Amino acid sequence: MRIKFKLNGKEVTKEVEVHKRAIDFLRDDLKITSIKEGCGEGECGACTIIVNGKTVHSCLMLAVELDGKEIITLEGVEDSIKMAFVKAGAIQCGFCTPGFIISTKYLLDNNPTPSEEEIRDALEGNLCRCTGYIKIIEAVKIAAKGCENND
Amino acid sequence: MIKNYYSPSTLDELLKIKNNTNGVVFSGGTDLFVKMRYGIIKPQTVIDTKKIKSAIKLENRKLIIPLNTTYTDLLEFLKKNKTNLFLEKIIKLIGSPMIRNRGTPIGNIANASPAGDFILATYLLNGNIIIKPTNRIIPIENFILGPSKIDLAQNEIIYAIEIDVKNNYKFFFEKVGKRNAMIISIASIAVLLKENNGKIEDISICFGSVSPTILRDKNIESKIIGEEFSIELFKYLANEFEKLSKPINDVRASKSERKKLVYNLTIKAFYNLKNEVVSI
Ligand SMILES: Cc1cc2nc3c(=O)[nH]c(=O)nc-3n(C[C@H](O)[C@H](O)[C@H](O)COP(=O)(O)OP(=O)(O)OC[C@H]3O[C@@H](n4cnc5c(N)ncnc54)[C@H](O)[C@@H]3O)c2cc1C
Ligand code: FES
Ligand code: FES
Repeated sequence: MRIKFKLNGKEVTKEVEVHKRAIDFLRDDLKITSIKEGCGEGECGACTIIVNGKTVHSCLMLAVELDGKEIITLEGVEDSIKMAFVKAGAIQCGFCTPGFIISTKYLLDNNPTPSEEEIRDALEGNLCRCTGYIKIIEAVKIAAKGCENND
Repeated sequence: MIKNYYSPSTLDELLKIKNNTNGVVFSGGTDLFVKMRYGIIKPQTVIDTKKIKSAIKLENRKLIIPLNTTYTDLLEFLKKNKTNLFLEKIIKLIGSPMIRNRGTPIGNIANASPAGDFILATYLLNGNIIIKPTNRIIPIENFILGPSKIDLAQNEIIYAIEIDVKNNYKFFFEKVGKRNAMIISIASIAVLLKENNGKIEDISICFGSVSPTILRDKNIESKIIGEEFSIELFKYLANEFEKLSKPINDVRASKSERKKLVYNLTIKAFYNLKNEVVSI
């Protein structure tokens, strides 16, 4: 099936088999390898992308469902959020990081000044085996401050 | 492997495709894709409902939640219309933001898990299931026949869920053991209570995961109308529901542990409700 969608602001038209998951299409066909497959069943959040303004799991979705949508992946996220993760030292192996950054963007797009509890709630669908989360929460706070300064 | 994908944009078209192909209908896919991954189902044809436009409605003290309404959509609607806000406590514990952005109450009901959190909410609020094309309207307790079993014919789909509008009630919800993709919670309870001068004016009590379907007993509820809201009454209820529960043994909890939980959760509900301020 031929699908047409916007990926990080750019139009993409591509042929895709109807059984293919969104994650396989984006990683294998479009080489967006920032999307990670941790669990493949909605538990870890490493495959999170933004579809029409909402975070979803690309492992629980067909590629054909992307048709007509606006997609944002790590590549489409503002640098200030990515830098906040670097500044806070919130990255160890980095496998979970793209998913956390996408969830952070979704949070800050909807709530630019989140409380600590709101940050924890927003990240509850992302798992990290390395950092123990404290530095990740710190990163989101830095990112939120960055957004405030930009406004 | 999926061979055919349909995404009709009207209900008529959807019903025609369903009738002709007997494909598997899906909305958020958060149950379906996990089941496909585990090989529990292997559909050749899937029918995506998401292109069908629909909107939540408030009508005659009923809330009508049509297909394609996600948990996120529903929560936004409840907040905007300041109604049934207690449901936020249930919705916020379903999965994660990503699951709530895709998953739907209708998918939860069609999945018929004894741990389904929105099935619990639908029992609690005297829900009806609205079915097309037959226009059957069935109370949730008659629609859910058992784990993964529902009263739906091959050519039918769920069009909407209709639940009561209830405001100015006290509410308690607790879920023991976090639910994830394949594993169900150990036990859950929801109690919706209206008091009048310390007496029970209206009450609805539901348990999840402690029976093949949600446990609710309307006879017990009607018997205690007018009774004093007291610990003695809740001890009586705790005993009754412990007897009524028919839990299973599994790796996460034994049968007797689950029965004990039913008792303890009921007592806990009393103390929490006692201290709760009426929410809108
Ligand atoms: C990580 C994770 C965590 C989860 N946590 C929870 C939780 O805490 N609590 C909980 O209750 N559930 C949980 N779930 C399960 C799931 O997210 C919910 O049951 C959700 O509501 C399913 O909705 P959906 O739209 O994604 O359903 P889908 O996967 O699209 O469909 C589910 C079933 O419903 C059928 N169906 C869909 N639409 C219709 C229709 N209109 N008519 C007839 N049949 C239809 C499908 O054929 C399928 O059998 C979790 C799942 C995952 C992966
Ligand atoms: S890979 Fe999708 S949630 Fe883990
Ligand atoms: S940094 Fe390794 S999983 Fe998070």
